[in-house]
Amino acid sequence: MSLGLKEPRASKASPQNPASRKPASRKAPAQGRQPGSSIDVQRKKLLFPFVGPAFVLYTVLFIVPALGAVWISLHKWAGSGPMKFVGLDNYGRIFRDPLFLSSFGNTLLLLFVVGTAIFVLAFAMTLVLRDMAGKKVVRNVIFFPHLINALVFGVLAGFIFNPGGMVNSLLAPFGVTDPPKWLAQDNIFPLIMVTLVCTTTGYFTTILMAGVDRIPPYYYEDCALAGATAFQRLRYVILPLTWDVFGTCAVLWTISSVKIFEIVWVFGGSSGAGVPPTQSWTAAVYTYVNAFSGQSTPAYGAATASAVLSLALISVLVVLLRRAMRRDAVEF
Amino acid sequence: MGKTARHLRPLAALLGAALALSTTACGGATDASPAADAVDISGSISGQTINYWSMWKDGEPQQKVIATAISDFEKETGAKVSVQWQGRSNTEKLVPALNTNNVPDLVDGTLAKLAPVIGDTGQASPLTSVYSYGLDGKTVSSVIPEKFTSNGVFKGEDGQPWMVPYSISSDGIWFDAAKHPELKAKPPATWDEFMEVLDKLKASGAAPIAADGDIAGYNSTWFVTALLRLKGAGSFNALAEDKSGAGWDDPAVLEAAQKVESLVKGGYLNSGYNASKFPAQQQLWANGDAALILNGSWTPTETGSYAAPGFEYSSFQFPAIGDKPASARVDFIGFAVPAKSKNQVPAQRLAAFLLDAKYQNALGTDAKVLPVRQDAPVDPAVASVKAAIDAAPATHLQNDGVTFPGYTEKVFFPRDDELFLGKTTAAEFVAKMKEAQIQYWKDNG
Repeated sequence: MSLGLKEPRASKASPQNPASRKPASRKAPAQGRQPGSSIDVQRKKLLFPFVGPAFVLYTVLFIVPALGAVWISLHKWAGSGPMKFVGLDNYGRIFRDPLFLSSFGNTLLLLFVVGTAIFVLAFAMTLVLRDMAGKKVVRNVIFFPHLINALVFGVLAGFIFNPGGMVNSLLAPFGVTDPPKWLAQDNIFPLIMVTLVCTTTGYFTTILMAGVDRIPPYYYEDCALAGATAFQRLRYVILPLTWDVFGTCAVLWTISSVKIFEIVWVFGGSSGAGVPPTQSWTAAVYTYVNAFSGQSTPAYGAATASAVLSLALISVLVVLLRRAMRRDAVEF
Repeated sequence: MGKTARHLRPLAALLGAALALSTTACGGATDASPAADAVDISGSISGQTINYWSMWKDGEPQQKVIATAISDFEKETGAKVSVQWQGRSNTEKLVPALNTNNVPDLVDGTLAKLAPVIGDTGQASPLTSVYSYGLDGKTVSSVIPEKFTSNGVFKGEDGQPWMVPYSISSDGIWFDAAKHPELKAKPPATWDEFMEVLDKLKASGAAPIAADGDIAGYNSTWFVTALLRLKGAGSFNALAEDKSGAGWDDPAVLEAAQKVESLVKGGYLNSGYNASKFPAQQQLWANGDAALILNGSWTPTETGSYAAPGFEYSSFQFPAIGDKPASARVDFIGFAVPAKSKNQVPAQRLAAFLLDAKYQNALGTDAKVLPVRQDAPVDPAVASVKAAIDAAPATHLQNDGVTFPGYTEKVFFPRDDELFLGKTTAAEFVAKMKEAQIQYWKDNG
């Protein structure tokens, strides 16, 4: 996750770097290159005092623990007591474990399927809300679910979908005597996906709307004059002008989707008192169960190995995503 | 790129230094802690202070009893106890603390949670002196029933006990004795009698058994107890430990699974048990919509607030299947003292202090849980469980004490859930378990 956070920063900085770095170099500037402006030189001087403290904190709080996790992942360890070095065994075991693969598959489902649903809906809502009366109120309303603790949804799911719950009570008058088993183990993960779409769409709609609101109205007037359809307006005006916002949202979702844990935990297994059914595990849940399930000896080596693997795979995804989304920002 | 490298170099040095620091910290933790010897705990401890991390939260009935004991302890001994009422997560917080020199002097928890963290890893002090400590002329070991300690569950690798229990929990098949006096008068003793009871209940139109099927630990109690009835305490642990997986070919294992299957296929479980969220089914049971529930000795306290008016808690033991002596499930809650604690004597004295009759009685009558002392009175709601434990010739732990890393959550629970939720047959369950267990031991052997 830490790598994922670093990536956008690094690539944001990169466009200006090639031009600005060389001149400030203490060596004589290469022939044919212009020396940097004094502002650039000042900037360089301020790099350490400004970036240093943050970097030290970041290193101590994130990078060192991440490297520590890599170290632990090479051992068999119960969290305290003796550590036994096992090399890459934990990684091999995880790759052979069908449970890790299905858990990671669920993480990818969240990332791509739920992600696609969220962004399609968020864009659709953005377009509808732009022209709507009372859009400020609506914006608050759709943002609201994001503020609620996932535990609430876990408990609520029980009220709504239990055999004697709200849905079945409402269906009964219509002659549905054998309603679907809503909370059967296989249905829990789809339910989690739907819940995530409902709770997260409003959050991204809000961010996207802030981007859309920046677009000056004369572009829309121009569209109207040119006789553009709603789709053309989206394709040629809104999307290009909000592409950077959209890209940031995509990275935010990628990072947060990998960490999705608590909603899975509270949806299955008695709202957190037990381990949820394996069908609904994500990579984060898999990691947690290995270390802290409370049902067996903790396996910190396997837990950290799965965390390191998820981190690596997600870092790759974020880099690819950034590559795919790279466009020159449109200035307006 | 040259400039980038120059910026990176000091940062890399910094990173390297930080990493070196962190790995030396890790290295320190890997040193095996010296095996502590039992200490003499009889001297004066006036003026000493201990740090106690409690598994109870402020306001819980057990917390009130322990808080009273602590204030009496401070008055009597002159020692000072600084308590953190942390709740059940205290064992999770203990894990990182054990890697430092800043450990609590006393912790409590269930045996199932403390053993993997502090007992099996050799991080606990031997509490032999606590067991031989005198309370009102009796030693601690003489007030703890022998069958609790005889199978050595509290003993570490050095053969010395590292945990002192002060309370226990158990399970039973619960029912409302006001509604079903016939079950209280003559509880089914064998599996056949149990099936007769179920058939009668079913014929009367009531749902025979309620079960919160989303809790794997509750589901597994059916199979594990059936197996223990057939093959005796310790047999599930031996089965899980079998690296060849051949143990699963034993006909008795299949028979235990078939018993569970017969409950599922026979329609004795309340409809919807396989698609509900805890505590929906135990609520329904406490409302009188189902007759029986297999659950822990905590059931009366947990369901008391929503039970139907006039509900009278009673329970019988899981019926006998073979002719093996039926063991009763007994899980322990008790104290451990980290080996790194610098205040061994007062910490161990407090652990012994809670075995005093006054606090044991309070646990039984005020907190309504099962005290570890057999002579302590208990609340009528759990009297049936206590009678069963007192009568049982042997005891077993939940899941027969299986704690192999990940075995329970990744191998056993998912497949047992399929059996109990009606997705696989007994034969399929046994075959799947055998295959998964062979793979498990290949990976973890």
